Amino acid sequence: MDERNKQIALKVIAVMYFLTIISMQGIVLYRQFALGQEIGDFEDIAIIMTINSIFLISALLYFGALPVRKLKVKSILLYYLTFVFLGSVFTYAKYNIFQSPGLSFEQLFNKLKIISAIIGLLMGFWILLSFLGKKRIDKELE
Amino acid sequence: MENIKLKLARVEKGMSQQNLADLVGATRQTIGLIEKGKYNPSLNLCVKIAKTLDRTLNDLFWYEDKK
Repeated sequence: MDERNKQIALKVIAVMYFLTIISMQGIVLYRQFALGQEIGDFEDIAIIMTINSIFLISALLYFGALPVRKLKVKSILLYYLTFVFLGSVFTYAKYNIFQSPGLSFEQLFNKLKIISAIIGLLMGFWILLSFLGKKRIDKELE
Repeated sequence: MENIKLKLARVEKGMSQQNLADLVGATRQTIGLIEKGKYNPSLNLCVKIAKTLDRTLNDLFWYEDKK
């Protein structure tokens, strides 16, 4: 296998991986909204997708596939607020638009607290990985 | 763009695409595609090819822009 074969293999693997993830996402949405199944019925797929996405972003950050310049507090905060906002919108849509009866304001607020904490932890983990990845490359350059 | 320089250098050395491919650790198809200008090899592979054919990188892979 030479470099061209490897390049083609990697491209094919990337496309197939993308299609698999999209298909799994489609299955989750179909089962949730078209078939009206409970989340417990497809928890396994949801867990695999979540772990997969977290590891994918982590690996991309650590190995330097995603360009990370200086870590600025302002931009980190902006990303954090954007993710929390998106998470809140999805949660609201999931419980109060697609399900009836919806959650009360207090229940939604409690969910928002959990979402904020999880996103905070994830972003902290990714910032740490970006930092370690940068350090690793700098060490190789020494 | 077709890489005539590479093809000429290989033929002058009396090598087939397969011979060259074996010596640089590539496949015949890869060498063929480089000669056809349909694959951009890595710098490492370019150096290997140049050394195998006793040429410089400029001899094989450099083209002056036509004015």
